[in-house]
Amino acid sequence: MPAIALQNFSYAYNHPKKVLDNITISIEKGSFSVILGPSGAGKTTLCLAVAGAVPHYFGGSSAGKVYVTGIHTQESSMQQLALTVGTVLQDYETQLVTMTVEEEVAFSLENLGIAPEEITQRVEEVLAKVGLTGYEKQAVTDLSGGQKQRLVLASVLATNPKILVLDEPTSALDPEGTHSLYKLLSDLNQEHGITILVVEHDIATVLPYADQFILLENGQLILNDTPENVLSFMAKKQIFAEAIPPLWQLKLMIEELTTRQFPPWHTEEEAITQLGKVLEEEARKNA
Amino acid sequence: MQKIAPITKLALTIFVTIWSIVLQSLPALTALIVCQLILLAIAKVGSSVYKGIASLFIFAAILAGMQYAINHDILLAAITASKMIAMTLVFFILLATTRMQDLSAALVLQCHIPYEYAFMLTAALRFIPDFLAESKAIQEAQACRGYSPQGNVLQRFFSYMAVIKPLVLKAVTKSETMALSLELRGFGSRKTRSFKNNVTLALQDYAMLLSMILFTSYLVIQIY
Ligand SMILES: Nc1ncnc2c1ncn2[C@@H]1O[C@H](COP(=O)(O)OP(=O)(O)OP(=O)(O)O)[C@@H](O)[C@H]1O
Ligand SMILES: [Mg+2]
Repeated sequence: MPAIALQNFSYAYNHPKKVLDNITISIEKGSFSVILGPSGAGKTTLCLAVAGAVPHYFGGSSAGKVYVTGIHTQESSMQQLALTVGTVLQDYETQLVTMTVEEEVAFSLENLGIAPEEITQRVEEVLAKVGLTGYEKQAVTDLSGGQKQRLVLASVLATNPKILVLDEPTSALDPEGTHSLYKLLSDLNQEHGITILVVEHDIATVLPYADQFILLENGQLILNDTPENVLSFMAKKQIFAEAIPPLWQLKLMIEELTTRQFPPWHTEEEAITQLGKVLEEEARKNA
Repeated sequence: MQKIAPITKLALTIFVTIWSIVLQSLPALTALIVCQLILLAIAKVGSSVYKGIASLFIFAAILAGMQYAINHDILLAAITASKMIAMTLVFFILLATTRMQDLSAALVLQCHIPYEYAFMLTAALRFIPDFLAESKAIQEAQACRGYSPQGNVLQRFFSYMAVIKPLVLKAVTKSETMALSLELRGFGSRKTRSFKNNVTLALQDYAMLLSMILFTSYLVIQIY
């Protein structure tokens, strides 16, 4: 059973335009998937569909089905789904609703009616997981952007969801904050087996972690494949090609102009080593 | 003070407000103010609270000055100012010594106020700093685009609208996002809700409540 499955799912908000159009995707348990696509493609809406907010919260009209860990979202409730899917919205600031760090995490647990003794223990555990131990009593407003983002993540993780959905979680973070957030997500993915679905416009930052890319455009699923296949497809068909990381543009160009084929580049280091080898070979040939 | 149940402090707030209205003599009001200041000192509140209190006193002094200028009755002016201080101080005590989360837990569990309403109180307080930061940012952004509040009152009023409109729009979008995120976090099923903190009444609470009731009765008997 896949962690997330959409079957011919279509959706329109309260106006006739289809925002998601006949989408069928299957996301395996424990995978790290990234949703890509230009602005207005329906990325946020897809996240909300997995969380059940579409259509439970937004109304509108839908067709087809969405399953999370086998639960048909439309036949469940948002509260029930909150136990399985943890969602981090783009505007993390607004998702923090209490005065202090520990209260924020406790709030999620109180909503579910967890006993007070257990709350104390779980708050401690989950703050440790996101690296906020020692900040328990700190005022939420005094945290840095990266820390706030971690706190949102902690408050979502507190309920032990099997799936994490994050909509552009790093759009307000600096490069360092971005890097450490993805490192954390990758740990949660690798060590705790949490399925991760994330919207990210900076492809280079997710390449080291992602095992699947989902490319959307105008509400349609263009391609759902490994990162390298989706990137070459984007370059070949010139779909959302401006988002291809510069190093990959170079790689794909070399591959097209020569007969040379590189293995996928997940990090800059991999690119550098492989390009270094090529340049050495060329130099030897020319000598 | 921090050990006292939120509900007791809420009762204290209400009683002190009643006393400030009922009491008419300057010594009695002064005594009430001094008692409250002692309570604050016992509670060991932070320096920001004292700053707030200092501005309260200045504000009350200005108020008294204005009243004196109007009707030349220095005693009445002093009494009005003390009443205001006495009433406002108790809110300082309540807010400085009670965590909002506990207050809302008390309102829900003991006063049977729906959680959604009690929650609004805490959320509003949480967003005040954000709101202030935002209005400053918008003012700066407008300033960069050549906005400066000058001219007569009317002109100023209209140019302030330039700051207020985006602020209100942002606040509306924010509250929408917040509502969505609350739903996503399983908020709203009151049947199953729990509270991490214990807000039940202890012996000292009953003692305080009893003495407050006795004191109020005594005041009422004295007057009528
Ligand atoms: N609450 C809403 N009500 C009505 N229409 C909406 C709503 N939210 C989004 N839309 C519309 O749905 C379409 C897809 O929006 P969505 O937010 O899913 O795109 P996105 O891929 O996340 O874009 P971005 O990269 O800008 O965040 C857009 O045309 C948008 O105008
Ligand atoms: Mg979006």
